[in-house]
Amino acid sequence: MSAKRITFAADTGGTFTDLVVQETGERPRFYKRSTTPSDPVVGLLNAVKAVSDDVNEPVASLLARSDLFVFGTTRATNAVVTGSTAKTALLVSQGHTDTLLFREGGGRRSLFDYSQEYPQPFIPRGLTYEVRERISATGDVIVALDEAKLVALLQQLREQDIEAIAVALLWSPINDSHEQRVGELIRQHLPGMPFTLSSQLNPSLREYRRTSSAAIDAALKPLMSQFFRNLDTGLKNEGFTGRLLIMTSSGGVLDAAAVAETPIHSIGSGPAGAPVAARYFAELDNMGKTAIVTDAGGTTYDVSLLSNGQIPKTRETMVGKDGAYITGFPSVDARSVGAGGGSIAWVDSGGMLHIGPMSAGADPGPACYGRGGDKPTVTDACLVLGYIDPDYFMGGTMQVNIDLARQAIMHDVAEPLGLDLYDAADAIVELATEHMAMAIESITLNQGIDPENSFTIAGGGGAGLYCGRVARRLNSWPVLIPEASAAMSATGAMLSDLQASFMVTDLVRTERFDYDKVGAIMADLKARCQEFISDSGVEQSAATIDFYVEARYPQQVWEISVALDVDTFSSEADVAKMEQLFHQQHEQLFAIRDDDSPIEVVSWGVNVRCSLRGDEQMPSPSAPGNRSGSQSRAVYYFGKGQLDTQVLQAQDLETGKTYPGPLLVESPVTTLVIDTASSIQRSASGSIIVTPSQ
Amino acid sequence: MTKANKTLNGHKLALINNRFEGIVRAMTNTLLRTARSTILNTGRDFSCCILTHDHKMLAMAESLPIHVMSGPDLMAQCMAEFFPTLTKGDAFLHNSPYHGNSHAADWTMLVPVVDDSGTHRFTVMAKAHLADCGNAVPTTYSAGAGDVFEEGALIFPCVKVQENYQNREDVLRMAKVRIRVPDVWYGDFLALLGAARIGERKLLELIDELDTDELNAYPEEWFNYSENLMVAAIRKLPHGKVTVSAWHDPIPEVLPDGMEIKAHVAVDSEQATISVDMTDNPDCQPCGLNLTEATSRTAAMIGIFTSLGSVVPPNAGSFRRLTVALRENCVVGKPVHPHSCSVATTNLAELVANSVARSIAELGDGFGMAATGKASPAATAVISGNDPRPNGGPFVNQLMLGFTGGAAGPNVDGWMTIIGIGAAGFLMRDSVEILEMKYPLYIKSQHVIPDSEGAGRYCGAPGCKVEFGPLAGDLTAVWLSEGTTYPPLGVQGGHDGSKAQQYICYADGSKSEPLGTYERVSIYPGDHIVSISTGGAGYGRPEQRNPARVQRDVAHGFVSEQRARDCYKVVLDKAGNIDQQATENFRAG
Repeated sequence: MSAKRITFAADTGGTFTDLVVQETGERPRFYKRSTTPSDPVVGLLNAVKAVSDDVNEPVASLLARSDLFVFGTTRATNAVVTGSTAKTALLVSQGHTDTLLFREGGGRRSLFDYSQEYPQPFIPRGLTYEVRERISATGDVIVALDEAKLVALLQQLREQDIEAIAVALLWSPINDSHEQRVGELIRQHLPGMPFTLSSQLNPSLREYRRTSSAAIDAALKPLMSQFFRNLDTGLKNEGFTGRLLIMTSSGGVLDAAAVAETPIHSIGSGPAGAPVAARYFAELDNMGKTAIVTDAGGTTYDVSLLSNGQIPKTRETMVGKDGAYITGFPSVDARSVGAGGGSIAWVDSGGMLHIGPMSAGADPGPACYGRGGDKPTVTDACLVLGYIDPDYFMGGTMQVNIDLARQAIMHDVAEPLGLDLYDAADAIVELATEHMAMAIESITLNQGIDPENSFTIAGGGGAGLYCGRVARRLNSWPVLIPEASAAMSATGAMLSDLQASFMVTDLVRTERFDYDKVGAIMADLKARCQEFISDSGVEQSAATIDFYVEARYPQQVWEISVALDVDTFSSEADVAKMEQLFHQQHEQLFAIRDDDSPIEVVSWGVNVRCSLRGDEQMPSPSAPGNRSGSQSRAVYYFGKGQLDTQVLQAQDLETGKTYPGPLLVESPVTTLVIDTASSIQRSASGSIIVTPSQ
Repeated sequence: MTKANKTLNGHKLALINNRFEGIVRAMTNTLLRTARSTILNTGRDFSCCILTHDHKMLAMAESLPIHVMSGPDLMAQCMAEFFPTLTKGDAFLHNSPYHGNSHAADWTMLVPVVDDSGTHRFTVMAKAHLADCGNAVPTTYSAGAGDVFEEGALIFPCVKVQENYQNREDVLRMAKVRIRVPDVWYGDFLALLGAARIGERKLLELIDELDTDELNAYPEEWFNYSENLMVAAIRKLPHGKVTVSAWHDPIPEVLPDGMEIKAHVAVDSEQATISVDMTDNPDCQPCGLNLTEATSRTAAMIGIFTSLGSVVPPNAGSFRRLTVALRENCVVGKPVHPHSCSVATTNLAELVANSVARSIAELGDGFGMAATGKASPAATAVISGNDPRPNGGPFVNQLMLGFTGGAAGPNVDGWMTIIGIGAAGFLMRDSVEILEMKYPLYIKSQHVIPDSEGAGRYCGAPGCKVEFGPLAGDLTAVWLSEGTTYPPLGVQGGHDGSKAQQYICYADGSKSEPLGTYERVSIYPGDHIVSISTGGAGYGRPEQRNPARVQRDVAHGFVSEQRARDCYKVVLDKAGNIDQQATENFRAG
């Protein structure tokens, strides 16, 4: 490589560390190395070493030429799941110790499953303390803050070896003076103690969610500060002098130092990259603006969306074992189902087939691994059906035994259901596909998107095995499979913008619209965006600002988000237009509208994005080398039996030519299964596009 | 066991079932997000389901069991009888306790799903507990009503409210002049309608998409599958007959002596059937506590499903294995007009469900469940008043504040936020901030009450203490707090849960006398209602409880060290660790 500048983007997943690297103006390439859980920096540097070996340039030289290193990680998510966060105290308003214990109610798996234990609160009751104070809904102080009592409590916390403090007082989003004062006293009496104020972190109503946000954020602070410091030091020691950015749960990037201050934003940091990459791949081939984005991994199948070019968010992000804790934070709306390659298929006493929730994981793994796992998995079914070549498993790096897969399916599925081997294997893949489709339906339902009006962007190692079936089930054609589909998240990190959201909660009803107040709010939001833009170091022209409102009918308590195409309200016509947009969206989502009713705007929001790439178009990342040559093998198709099927190498496909199914397309990271009723084309960008034949 | 020719194999069955459950969830989502009263948009006191064209319960997803297990079948049948020709675009409002509904406050929207050929294929139902239903007293639980006339609820015995997708405005106008706070009511009505229409829209899509033979075969095969699971579950239960009883609190002038409710339960584990006989109970009473046919049968069914020990889908198929004997004019049976059934979903219904669950526990350790915390503490009162704040005005709503009380099972502690066995933990709690924003309230505190759990090998959830009052303007609250006299009952040596209490703390610091089970109070800013809900009952003897669980309960402040020692016979050292030797000796001696 020459002296051009380089950008790195990495995603550290549970199994693999993906690294995408691009020299200015060149086609990016991606690399995959094993994650090193004890010290993820090692795995990351191993991936950089792979680049170094590939291009014959020392690691130090590569890193020295790099301005930007973007990093996504599941570290924070894993810390919450495994309970390895800091010993954290929670300070709440007097009388409300049990906010985290009671939650919002609910949470049972099913109506009559009385075997479930009630989940423990994220911070135990014994570490939750009341602060004598209270503020009302209008922001008035009902009970003054008892500072003497609080100081005594802080002394007590020092003796208890508390490592972090979360503060979540009632009504702090409306009046944060008490939380601010608690913060000052913590700084004064426990200098150096990491803490989080709920009103600073997440100034939204509903005390349970805001308290949960603060608790999780505070508990992550010691660990994640250390993690980002190690990452920074590790890269610097190898010669990196550029800017270290972290992928956030909202699908943007922030400076590592900022994320260390609010580490809750790095929860879900990896998967948030997938829809960012998907949006970019869709634009490259001009595919449309509304899509289902899937990422088929070894243990889970993750789904996210593009909605009219935007990446939809949710306020209900759950994290931890069995999704026990709510982050209370808007994040990229992504769903995960346990329908990965390792999910186990079984038949219950009533004769019904199930997939999961048990997974064979990596150890013992699917039956075909021959490591003692005798339960049939989705991977075993794909092997039996001929989707996967037993001699080219994981690019030929692993030996599998197809007979073991056959035995497991015969014994556990085919015999109990009275099916033959192939129909049983097909049923397993079909039901796994149904779980995937359900996850897609759940997220599209929540976001008000009709799968039939969307297309599919398929990523992950298992992308090619299921994408055609899922698209057929939901009628969401065509399917786009980018060449770098196996590194969606890292590609997303490479493309992400510096991004921030600002929101002001101030209730305004349309029938007495306060133009002055709204004008001031919008001007304030705009000023905050301008400040963010000038701090970002990018050109004004590379920044975009999008306003929206969170609104509802009076007396409703759940808002819907309505995008605005104005940045100010100057006339009744502007207000009437917003009302119309709201009525329309409400009817589309919920089948009803209340035309005679005014609209209540609860929050005024803005998203600001600064593109780090400017106008520069990045070509689609290319995959590492393929095997070559064409061959064929027998593949089973339901209702048609086994058909001899041609196997093509992805790199050999000619751009623009139509290849009808049945067909298999192989690359070292995935196999694409094209059934008899579909065909494919290779696009100019190198992606594969699957369409139904008729 | 039913054997039928199968059109659908196991995986097809799962696929189609997922679609139906998904449609019910879409209905649920619509109702939650669009309703105006917090009892619906936060408390989730509503249910949605799908019935077959011949009125059999097909899919209920996460509906409240007391709303749906029996009742929707009767109501859909009633719709077909009253309106022999069902047309696309029709919607029917039904809340009549004498025609299959649960109680008058549960407004139900029935929409027949009629395909393009004019054939009635399914019925979708959305049922919501309204904040007000026009009762004489501002509560939807009118225990003191001598009959339906005193109760005062507007009754719609399956009345057409939409034709060709357009409102029948004449009918809606009737409601608007008889419901408190009509604007909010209309919003809730729209939410009900929206939920039903979303269900209809999605079912019509499904009818278009699926193979007709498969879709037609599905209900019966799903029922057969469910019945088979039910058979397998009942075969694991102990065979036998048992009679159980429990008492409802006395209420002065309404039910002065309280009332004993009996259930005769027979499990035939060879034939795989369960029968519950509820006929041995008093005649209908001149008060609002009488159950409806729907809730009498449903309550008994909930007791059974709660006790199965394995998960069986609740639908017309699994129901085939149950019989519930009911008689006319019985408090737990089929009420006769004009007896009032205003409170038919909670008080006696909870007693019946809990008694049946306890009866299974009486048949053998390892089965059934202890009694769940009792219905409707003051923290779930119906409140009303006039909000003096800007944008205020009259309001009426049911609270869903601290109410815990999950019962112990044979292998698990009680679920903290169960909110009654009939709701099965699927009601949600109010947010303090949302409540204080919408109504002029001040929620002073909500706490678990230490040492209130029904002790046992497995424990009931502790009770909850809540202090709340008006922040501005006066506040009327009506509650019906069962368990003030008679606590939830333990099983197999497990202890009873603690009792309910309620009183008022006045602004000057003084306290009222203890208040009764059924009260209507008016209080003023500075005063607080104190609500103490019952603890769930325990399962098995407390001295058999795993000491590690006792230690955890002490660490969390649920149980005092004193009680750990006296009741559970567990000795903890100063650091809170278990003194193994002392505990063993103590338990042995």
